[in-house]
Amino acid sequence: MVKFTKEMKEALRVPGKGGSLIYLCTSSRDGNPNIAAMRFVATHMDDKILIADMFLLKTKANIKENPEVAVTICHPLEEGRWWVFKGKAVDIEYGFPRDFDWYGANATDILNEWGNWNRSEPPDEVPPDIVFPKAVQRGVVVVHVEEAYSIEPGHVGEKVLLG
Amino acid sequence: MEMTVNLTGRMKAWIEAMGCHLCVATPRGEPFVVLGRYAQVTADDEVAFALAKDEAKVIAPALSENPRVAFGVSRQGGIRAAYQFKGTGRFLHEGEVVDRVVAWAKEEKGIDTAAILSVHLTELYCTKPGYEAGQRLDGMSPDELDAWERQRWKDVPGKRA
Repeated sequence: MVKFTKEMKEALRVPGKGGSLIYLCTSSRDGNPNIAAMRFVATHMDDKILIADMFLLKTKANIKENPEVAVTICHPLEEGRWWVFKGKAVDIEYGFPRDFDWYGANATDILNEWGNWNRSEPPDEVPPDIVFPKAVQRGVVVVHVEEAYSIEPGHVGEKVLLG
Repeated sequence: MEMTVNLTGRMKAWIEAMGCHLCVATPRGEPFVVLGRYAQVTADDEVAFALAKDEAKVIAPALSENPRVAFGVSRQGGIRAAYQFKGTGRFLHEGEVVDRVVAWAKEEKGIDTAAILSVHLTELYCTKPGYEAGQRLDGMSPDELDAWERQRWKDVPGKRA
């Protein structure tokens, strides 16, 4: 059973709260990989990573046809955040059945707490030449983490213990 | 349709200064990620990454079946060099590029290189949050792309500034 460590939960938060910029890696069903940086990130329960669906295009299309994803830390790396989390994702969009369940995560709970993320955790730390004028959120990507490996130099590929 | 990628000087600087997160996938769509800690731009549409043995081992099985590679710039580059680079990758084992990249990777990053991953770029996307996220840029001429970037970004990192 997967259980994030305290360090992982601290890292998988928005950068303005000491968290990280992350990379969400997806793939089409026939193996065309895609990698995109994400700012709005959180953990839920002990084994879910949440990411805002704000400007997703290929990522969204890939998740709809292939739930296999990987999440890793883009920045900062030099704080021991050398993890790649692998698991299955769904994009819980507005309009999903409110009782929709993804490995124990409930759509209503997710959208109530993280459905207006730009307001609850505004990107105050983002420089003015990058910050977006209006962030319209369409849903929340929920990653059910099943395993993790390390990308720390000298230990790459080693299984990371979860729980 | 495959177009030509012409990396700008600023893109090259960010790639080489920060390294990149490399993403590959099996033919059935299972993604794998490693760091390309040392990157050297070897042509306007080609980047070589020096990988240690354990780094190469993570992506080699998928890459042997499916050469497609996507990468983004690591660290602050994930937001300040807001691009996704896509292409086809292959391991190089000998030649002038290998000799040069292996030497510089050792000199600059202390990497004992086991494999050089060379990525020939065929697609380039803007990933800056907002209305331009996902915009494809590889159809632009080098001058158009350079002008487009200069309108949006001023900073060039590291020693190549």
